[in-house]
Amino acid sequence: MSYADTSRKRRWLLGAVGLVVAALIAIEVLFPANPFTGLAVVLLTLVTDPNYVGSVLRLTVPIAFAALGGIFAEKSGVINIGLEGLLIISAFTSIAVAATLGGGTPSQFDLWVAFGVAVLASVLFALLFAVVCIEYKADQIIAGLAVWLIALGLAPFASKVIWGQVNSPPIATLNDWTVPVLSEIPFFGPVLFDANPTVYMLLVAVAASWYTLNRTAFGRWIEASGENPKALDTVGVDVRKVRYAGVLLSGLFSGIGGAGLALGRVGQFIGGGTTMINGRGWIGITAYLFGNYNPLGAFGASFLFASLDALQIRLQQLGYSIPSELIGIIPYVTVVVVLAFVGRTQIPDAAGEHYDSGED
Amino acid sequence: MSAAVYLEGITKRFPGVVANDEVDLEVEEGSIHALLGENGAGKTTLMNVLYGLYQPDGGTVHLDGEPREFETPRDAIDAGVGMIHQHFMLVDTLTTAENIVLGHEPRKWGGLAIDRVRADREVRELSRRYGFDVDPEARVENVSVGVQQRVEILKALYGGADVLILDEPTAVLTPQEVADLFEVFDELAAEDKTIIFITHKLGEAMEAADDITVLRNGKNVGTVDADATTREELAELMVGREVLLEADKEPADPGAVGLAVSDLRVTDDRGVEQVRGVDIDAREGEVFGIAGVDGNGQSELVEAVTGLRTPESGRVEIGGEDVTDRSRRERIDAGMAYIPEDRQERGLVMEFDLVENGLLGSQHTSEFAAGGRIDWEHTREHAEEIIAEYDVRPPNADAESASLSGGNQQKFIVGREFARDPDVIVASHPTRGVDVGSIEFIHDRLLDLRRAGKTVLLVSSKLDEVQQLSDRLGVMHEGELVDVVDPDRVTEEELGLLMAGETPEDAPSIADPPGGDR
Amino acid sequence: MSGDDSTIGRALGGLVDASAIERILISLAALGLSVVVGAVVVLISGWVLSPCPSAPFATLGGLGEFCYNPIEVYWVLLKGAFGSTFNLATTLQETTLLLFTGLSVAVAFRAGMFNIGTQGQLVLGALGTGLSVLWVAPVVPAGLVGGVVLVAVGLLVGAAVGGFWGAIPGALKAYADANEVITTIMLNFVATGIAFTLVSEVFKDPGSQTVQTRFVPEYAQLPALVLGIDGFSMLALVGGLALAGLVYWVLRGTSFGYDLRTSGVQPDAAEYGGVDAKKTMVSSMALSGALGGVGGAVYVLMVAGQWQSGIPSLGFDGITVSILAGNNPIGVVPAALLFGALKGGSLVIEFDLAVPQQLVGVLRGLVILFVAMPEFFRMAGIRYGYGDDEPAVATDGGTPREGGADDGGDSE
Repeated sequence: MSYADTSRKRRWLLGAVGLVVAALIAIEVLFPANPFTGLAVVLLTLVTDPNYVGSVLRLTVPIAFAALGGIFAEKSGVINIGLEGLLIISAFTSIAVAATLGGGTPSQFDLWVAFGVAVLASVLFALLFAVVCIEYKADQIIAGLAVWLIALGLAPFASKVIWGQVNSPPIATLNDWTVPVLSEIPFFGPVLFDANPTVYMLLVAVAASWYTLNRTAFGRWIEASGENPKALDTVGVDVRKVRYAGVLLSGLFSGIGGAGLALGRVGQFIGGGTTMINGRGWIGITAYLFGNYNPLGAFGASFLFASLDALQIRLQQLGYSIPSELIGIIPYVTVVVVLAFVGRTQIPDAAGEHYDSGED
Repeated sequence: MSAAVYLEGITKRFPGVVANDEVDLEVEEGSIHALLGENGAGKTTLMNVLYGLYQPDGGTVHLDGEPREFETPRDAIDAGVGMIHQHFMLVDTLTTAENIVLGHEPRKWGGLAIDRVRADREVRELSRRYGFDVDPEARVENVSVGVQQRVEILKALYGGADVLILDEPTAVLTPQEVADLFEVFDELAAEDKTIIFITHKLGEAMEAADDITVLRNGKNVGTVDADATTREELAELMVGREVLLEADKEPADPGAVGLAVSDLRVTDDRGVEQVRGVDIDAREGEVFGIAGVDGNGQSELVEAVTGLRTPESGRVEIGGEDVTDRSRRERIDAGMAYIPEDRQERGLVMEFDLVENGLLGSQHTSEFAAGGRIDWEHTREHAEEIIAEYDVRPPNADAESASLSGGNQQKFIVGREFARDPDVIVASHPTRGVDVGSIEFIHDRLLDLRRAGKTVLLVSSKLDEVQQLSDRLGVMHEGELVDVVDPDRVTEEELGLLMAGETPEDAPSIADPPGGDR
Repeated sequence: MSGDDSTIGRALGGLVDASAIERILISLAALGLSVVVGAVVVLISGWVLSPCPSAPFATLGGLGEFCYNPIEVYWVLLKGAFGSTFNLATTLQETTLLLFTGLSVAVAFRAGMFNIGTQGQLVLGALGTGLSVLWVAPVVPAGLVGGVVLVAVGLLVGAAVGGFWGAIPGALKAYADANEVITTIMLNFVATGIAFTLVSEVFKDPGSQTVQTRFVPEYAQLPALVLGIDGFSMLALVGGLALAGLVYWVLRGTSFGYDLRTSGVQPDAAEYGGVDAKKTMVSSMALSGALGGVGGAVYVLMVAGQWQSGIPSLGFDGITVSILAGNNPIGVVPAALLFGALKGGSLVIEFDLAVPQQLVGVLRGLVILFVAMPEFFRMAGIRYGYGDDEPAVATDGGTPREGGADDGGDSE
């Protein structure tokens, strides 16, 4: 599928969204008593509700961080499909460490220590993945699956060892940071300047990622390493190192994302079924594909998916008589539909391939 | 004065083959040196040794009189050796300037950012100095192949190269671009840069180089002064025997149109139109040749004809029947054989053994798989017959096809395709990367089919090949069939002009095949 | 099934093939390494758990107590898997189910499709089976005849529903170029959500608190035949084994299988050989989904007797089984038995030793990880003198595919 095709599809998608919105408005105007009205009103009040937007931003944290990490890894030539596993590992570690340090009532300091340890755990896991892929030429897709499945087994296993059950008891979460004065601005104040620290971290990380990729030598090396590693190698930059850096960054970002969800929002580790991460890493992958490997685009897509997630929570709270499980699948269905529209993205030329410098 | 480059007794072995056998090579500073030889003579291997990609098993590399050991290309680059590979080492998604400074980016803000203004300026200055016309801000994927090559040269110069190695630099260029490149060579040499270029074309070596070294079977068989040698001498050095120029070919006896293409338009994966309204009417008992510089739409044309790519518009007919909307499989069933350009991507399943590969394309025929059940015994016999008849080595049907050499892989493909008893044969670069013995063999088989009244469409970038085998020769340039000429009467100069998209006035155009009665 | 000599001959020929032996060795080595790493995990978890509820297995000065003895854990695991009739039945029950999901994954992987969605295909297939059997049951006679009819209907509907659900990501990949890894995973979530909603809103057993359908009639459940323990039917196991043979034959001996395998290893060559890539994507995924759906049907008809929420992750275990088996349908049999045994034993280690049964989940991931890195074992083999260190010598003395001595267009 060509690039032109992809952008055409993107336009199609935007057009389709526009059509739906226009249709809803038309129905609204023509038939004021239609069954959509209630929903439309709810939607309209939601998007202008700072509380809702704020909670969407919090839900964006794990998805967008996973997406940022995925961008760095995949652009450097290593497809990291194990992001979901990294999120699980760091979510679990953060709660386990916090609970160990502070019991049921960890202090803010304890939480931050736990946060750091969790990020470290995720980075170590990413390192394992990197070694397997780069040194031992593992199939990246299968190794990524393995990372996910190991995490999916290890976290509940360890939960049971520590707490005797797959879920942890609830603990405190990270306090919001309020920026004086700025938080008084209508709408934007409460959304952007009275938020969880993980939200600030995300906003900084998105900007920093964009800058790194587009304006620094390292960013150009990441690009070259994924597009034409030999070109990079022959000018004397070690492709292995660049790829290690890419994968470790994916560990770092996923670590922040997982710990951010656990400590910034949920305050508990839930290890049953697909765990509390519940596919957010996979959604993160879709987000960066949809965002065409651009951190800003990936953030936008993550925000979109998160808002669907928040929407289903909100609709349930509002008591809509739609079964909760059915609303729960909205984000996943959206991912499938989006992928069907976007199709194959401009995947880096050499992504997924092992690179061997010189002859052996 | 000592030579800029002196390779002394370089030996390089690969499992089962000696690629370089005690090769000596001396290149003066500021000179242009051609490394001439047939495919597989060991030219690229030798240069990869100089460039540090390979470590020699014996011998020494000297630069400016000093013995050097290059463990990686990085070492060679640091010593002032730059190499422009056949496949460019460029990052398509970056700009030309970003490619040129890659790995040596000028920094600002304490290294936190690339100083893009300075990078662009330096690239512009460098490019002006050597008379290049390169836009620093253009993305590499958007510039022509000729410009990409200049970017590669600039990249080497930016890295401080004094010795430039170019591997088959003309393979992807039009004659005009080739002429420009040779001018660049002269300018570089005037600035005391040393140039070594690899080629298998005698004419180019004589035209561009000061000195020519000929390699054959991994050995240096002689270094000659380009002004004092003759084409015959070089050809003999290269091949080691009188060049067999004429294939045995009786006059054509063309019949009805076997394969017709009309007003065909095809786009590539990026959505760019590569074939722009091509008409072909290849007849039974005729070899219709298509010549042209690689990348002028030949691949897309062949894919559209064989059913691997859907054309935007136009018609493809086999034996008068419209097959434009037929699938690949239906075209195979209609009697089309196809020797693909890329044998390792398409022609063979590398993980399968030859038994299974012999079935490729026939897996649904009643001969091999009546009722959907594969008759393995018959399939095995079939593969063994191909192996015997086409002298595929090793003669082992259980060998994985990846373990065969390129020439033997090709012979197996040719054998399999011809065994279909096809009516129409599309042969795309059938002898690329194949040893001399196999080339003659494949040529003879193609002519056998012609004799048997089959229709052959032959695409090749080897001019001698298409000229010898074809009865009519179409020349492609930028997706158009510029002209169809009589291969026996057309001169090399005329072909060169045609390949560059110009139509010489007295080109021997022919609408119908010679000897045809319609 | 094919009975002609050539097929069998080829089958044996394939097994003694050097690369096949290498594959088996790598699988075994990966398994061994996973067991070792798993032992370390057990040790560490025992240390984390300390102070131990019962006598510690070892006490190292300064480090503290280690509650679990890894060797004992594995021993109990093994004994637990085969030690009693009941445990054996549990092991074989799991083995049977994993045969179906393992084959499902193997078919897709051989076609080059990373079907991670067997779980969803199984969940919906199970629902289809449960509902169709409940729906047809009133119109057929009770007893053996009715049982045969109901089982047949259940299997068919399970296969059809699973096949349909599998064909969706196949079609999305073929016609919209959507990455199947992600779509299949997403469709797992969707399948679970849909099934749960359907049952809880429409088909819920009115007499139950939990989300589940009514039980299918006793005579529609697969009979035990041997062992005499509910939840395992010899009939299903034999059926699964026969299916493994059938899938092997389809892949190896039919035109469809040839198309599928060719697309899997080299799509460009398949296209060249007249294989319709898109059709093959859809049909291989449909076949894979159908096998997963049959797995769901067997789960309902043999294990649960109804559809219930919280179906175990048989689909994901199927991935491990298939990968360990090198995606070979025959290899799926021992791999399924192995993971069946782990499952059977895991209940016992939790019960007897208080080691969480999720240990098996960890081993599952480790096995996949190690199987994914054959290079590691090759290097290790070379270092310790096994295997040759010139892997790719061309048998005819020419250079191998990426050899450097060829000046032609192939070199790079």
